Amino acid sequence: MDVRESLSMAFRSIRSHKLRSTLTVLGIVIGIASVVTFATFGASLKADVVSEIGDTSASNVYLVTSPEDGGPFGSAIQPVFTEHDLAEIRELEGVRAVIPRGNVPTSALRYRGDTFARTQVTATTAETFTEASLVEGRAFRAGESEVVLNRAATRAFEENVTVGSTLTVTMQSNRSVDLTVVGIVERTQGQLPVGGFGSQARFFVPADPFYDATVESPTLGVNQRVYPQVTVQTDPAATTATKERVQSSLDDSDAAELAPGGAEVTARTSGDFIDQIERIIDRLTRFVTGIAVIALVVGAVGIANIMLVSVTERTREIGIMKSVGATNRDVMQLFLVESSLLGGFGAVLGVPLGVLVGWGATEYAEITFTLAPTWFAIAVTVGVAVGIVAGLYPAWKAARVDPIDALRHE
Amino acid sequence: MSRANEATATTREDPVVRVVDVRKTYQMGGVVEALAGVSVDLARGSYTAVMGPSGSGKSTLLNLVGGLDTPTSGRVELDGQDIGGAGEAVRASVRGSEVGFVFQTFNLMPRLTAVENVALPLVFQGWDRERRRERAVEHLKSVGLGDRLDHLPQELSGGQRQRVAIARALAPDPALVLADEPTGNVDSETGARVMDLLDGVHEAGNTILLVTHDRRIAERADRIVHIRDGQIEGVEEL
Repeated sequence: MDVRESLSMAFRSIRSHKLRSTLTVLGIVIGIASVVTFATFGASLKADVVSEIGDTSASNVYLVTSPEDGGPFGSAIQPVFTEHDLAEIRELEGVRAVIPRGNVPTSALRYRGDTFARTQVTATTAETFTEASLVEGRAFRAGESEVVLNRAATRAFEENVTVGSTLTVTMQSNRSVDLTVVGIVERTQGQLPVGGFGSQARFFVPADPFYDATVESPTLGVNQRVYPQVTVQTDPAATTATKERVQSSLDDSDAAELAPGGAEVTARTSGDFIDQIERIIDRLTRFVTGIAVIALVVGAVGIANIMLVSVTERTREIGIMKSVGATNRDVMQLFLVESSLLGGFGAVLGVPLGVLVGWGATEYAEITFTLAPTWFAIAVTVGVAVGIVAGLYPAWKAARVDPIDALRHE
Repeated sequence: MSRANEATATTREDPVVRVVDVRKTYQMGGVVEALAGVSVDLARGSYTAVMGPSGSGKSTLLNLVGGLDTPTSGRVELDGQDIGGAGEAVRASVRGSEVGFVFQTFNLMPRLTAVENVALPLVFQGWDRERRRERAVEHLKSVGLGDRLDHLPQELSGGQRQRVAIARALAPDPALVLADEPTGNVDSETGARVMDLLDGVHEAGNTILLVTHDRRIAERADRIVHIRDGQIEGVEEL
């Protein structure tokens, strides 16, 4: 029997039970839409995070402490990198700059009477800013009461902050300092490539004089500033080799001594971070999508159920078809086509719905929306496959209907 | 009334149907023997009625000849082809091309129009849409339903439905038309018209096997085969 004939007969049967077919298809729509939603969101999240890390920082090497078993980075951010360590690394071949970063605990920032609650500002060195990253003004100078803001921070107060304005920072020790805004940046060099989503307001102050976390250097035996995070800018042509040199230098550094038990200090490139982030997001996406598959299974059960009902209702019709020459195979094909049509409709409607909801989710999470087109093909295939699988038993049952009994069936 | 042969109704000519010593038993609590050694031939172009009380095995015989069922033992040949021992797919194809069924309850597909119902056997034969429709329209016209082509069965009277069923039976140009109590569900006047139509089908050269318990209906045939308790009781040439 020609598949087109089966299609037209299956269509007719689906149309003759509009509500029932709609509800059955709805089950698959929900299943496919949830899968597509999570897949789309996962793909968007990945693309967004990766693009945030960007290519510009490809030559950066980040020094972090992490648990020895290779767990998530940043899980043990503690100030361990001393001035001595930084000096050692500065001497290495291929290193262009070493940018430490630390947090200065604050209680609030004030601008023209408007207060912005903020528990910390970032302490770093002027090397964190490049010509390209500075949109306005200049980098701060070490030892001066100056501050550099990112764009989000200029809009954090009721009145926009501009170069030349004065911010008042209240430290946690309740000491207040007036800082002159000297520059506005777009993107900084020393930032760890895990900035979180969207653009937070950021304030950068010179480590000298504001950063005062110190520790006794195990190597030198004197108190030194100590930083939780260090970015090493390298010669872009030799990033990997330089990373290796930095890593071996770290092995007998103050940081290695100071790192808490079970943690180690490692040098990572942004590529390492990207790989790790991608792995984590992929794993999460697969996990959540796996949960969404449950909805799809429920939809498949719906199809199987309705097809079984349909076989029972149409027993007599099956008998008629068999009496006029339908083979078991024809009957089976007819029912399989019908169930795969239900699945296919579900997929075709579910994909756009899933994309829409996925788009909504990315809007809500303020990340860039990315389509995952291969998922569409997969989703439609899966929808049809689900229909076929769900229809197998009912179709087999239909094929086995005895025409003599069926013709007697009322 | 001439009793040609007590046990069989065979002929030497080239028969359309040859049933040789067929037995059919069912397992229903105990063993029920529906047919206990029946032999009957249907000559080409003949019109045979099978009469008997209910439970006599006449419907079983019809199902076997029509390829809907297989015998427990014995041979059933249709146009020289052994359909008693054939597999499901072969029997389905024979039902589609060599046999036309006319049932007591019409057995039309409720969601198909008259023309689609008539064309249905041709769907399973792989005919294309145009040719199917053409053939179906032709047959519907010949049974006088040229103005009811696109009506659904529920929009037709009992007599009209049975005429659609007859058109459907004839659509694949079968070797044999099987009619199972074709007038059982219509009033006697309509029944007479249905039987007139079958007479016409016979006169056009078709072989007909009619199952009925109504003598007046059976007398339309050339020959009446009486069946009782799964055996042929006698054959009556008219």
